[in-house]
Amino acid sequence: MAFISSGYDPSSPMKNRITDIGPRKYSEFYPPFIAKNKGKWAYHEILEPGVLVHVGESGDKVYTVRCGTARLMSITLIREMCDIADKHCSGYLRFTTRSNVEFMVDSEDKLKALKSDLAARKFAGGSYKFPIGGTGAGITNIIHTQGWVHCHTPATDASGPVKAVMDEVFADFQQMRLPAPLRISLACCINMCGAVHCSDIGIVGIHRKPPMIDTDWVDQLCEIPLAVASCPTAAVRPTKIDRADGTKMNSIAIKNERCMYCGNCYTMCPALPISDKEGDGMAIMVGGKVSNRISMPKFSKVVVAYIPNEPPRWPSMTKVIKKIVEVYAANANKYERLGEWAERIGWERFFSLTGLKFTHHLIDDFRDPAYYTWRQSTQFKF
Amino acid sequence: MASITYKGHEFEVDEDGFLLRFDDWNPDWMEYVKDSEGITDITPDHQKILDFLQDYYRKNGIAPMVRILSKNTGFKLKEVYELFPSGPGKGACKMSGLPKPTGCV
Ligand code: HEM
Ligand code: HEM
Ligand code: SF4
Ligand code: SF4
Repeated sequence: MAFISSGYDPSSPMKNRITDIGPRKYSEFYPPFIAKNKGKWAYHEILEPGVLVHVGESGDKVYTVRCGTARLMSITLIREMCDIADKHCSGYLRFTTRSNVEFMVDSEDKLKALKSDLAARKFAGGSYKFPIGGTGAGITNIIHTQGWVHCHTPATDASGPVKAVMDEVFADFQQMRLPAPLRISLACCINMCGAVHCSDIGIVGIHRKPPMIDTDWVDQLCEIPLAVASCPTAAVRPTKIDRADGTKMNSIAIKNERCMYCGNCYTMCPALPISDKEGDGMAIMVGGKVSNRISMPKFSKVVVAYIPNEPPRWPSMTKVIKKIVEVYAANANKYERLGEWAERIGWERFFSLTGLKFTHHLIDDFRDPAYYTWRQSTQFKF
Repeated sequence: MASITYKGHEFEVDEDGFLLRFDDWNPDWMEYVKDSEGITDITPDHQKILDFLQDYYRKNGIAPMVRILSKNTGFKLKEVYELFPSGPGKGACKMSGLPKPTGCV
């Protein structure tokens, strides 16, 4: 395509340059009834899965319809959302902190028309474009990351497994039958972009082999001290290597028996690639939460050390997730988050009820704090 | 990998225009890079920053932290940006031949 200038002049890049203007102010995009009742809301109700009503002190009512999105989306789909907002909501919409989309209207008639319009829209392949749900004690959208779509450090994909899991638990997106909300998150490497470390169920991509060392390039492309300092187990050290011509060159050596394949050194040094088709896979974590409700916030804990990558549908992984959800749903008390339930019944009961295999990988061995995760008590169930 | 020939020198570079080898650096490299980095003339202030980056890299094997760059050269970050519009990493480090910054940048 021919070049079309936006008016930017590459020969004087600082001319007419606008900077530090920040985001647009949120209030520019308030629907009028939101602007009017801001800070004066009396109460809210969940009318049905995916539909909320907020009532203002003035008596004004706002109906919200929450729909799932794939987060990664085309401008075509965004335009379709804009069309829907134009048609039903005077052009207003919003996205939630879990990448759902919410359409708001101010009357029951408009709500009815909006809902049936949304529910009828499908992609050619048959998937719902705007499935209504994600409220209350169900499973809402999965917070996820870049995966093989864009990042260079992933050990698994993001969009693919998320679609596979949401297909598996779709019924729980559209109902509210669980003891409490259940948050699922996915990160494609242990950088854990997103929320895996504090979710009811976390899926995280892991490696199982040490990095390869591209000796010819280590000293050229990398700041070797950064790679050394990037290793949590001090497995990386600088070294010298003999060249064929008798001279020496700077490189890196890795103690394989100290390496636990975090890939942090590759993040800092492009000459240490680590991803591996057979080695890579995912670990499953459970029991995290961020709210203060009843119990303090919790980290999620690793309960499955490794599940292989099985694109495009990750059947072994989705089976494990489904199993955990079902056992939790059948056993936990009302309002009890997954982590609260597992801690109340004891983790040994969590493993026996879910049938998950307890392997030595799950026992913490990272520095002094590992000790506090062992059992200094005879209190346990057989 | 691409290579660039400028004033008789050949420079091997990556897709972001960083030198693949620090040892390939010579003053003509700065001349060549400055246009794409929005710099008309290399002033003594520019040179001071470029020299410090190179000294620090030779001595320590890493690029200095931004605070160390500011403290040693006396230029506040705002001034560094006035000199190098793309900033200390993409602008100054590229011109001084240091390896491309890594991490979650
Ligand atoms: C040479 C022999 C023994 C040694 C070296 C020894 C050592 C210890 C140590 C280090 C503790 C503290 C554990 C902790 O702080 O967590 C302890 C606790 C205890 N020991 Fe012994 N012990 C010995 C003999 C015995 C005998 C013969 C008995 C009982 C007849 C006994 C009963 C207990 C009990 C009940 C505790 C727990 C106390 C509490 O936590 O309140 N020990 N022992
Ligand atoms: C019918 C008999 C007994 C009863 C009802 C009884 C009851 C109890 C109770 C209620 C505690 C406190 C538990 C807690 O702090 O949560 C306790 C602790 C303990 N009992 Fe007994 N006990 C009995 C017999 C014995 C005998 C025969 C021994 C020793 C030979 C013994 C040794 C201990 C010790 C060492 C502790 C402290 C454990 C610890 O805190 O680590 N008890 N017992
Ligand atoms: S979790 Fe890791 S692989 Fe995924 S987007 Fe973040 S840094 Fe990239
Ligand atoms: S992968 Fe992680 S543990 Fe292994 S050498 Fe690199 S930084 Fe260290």
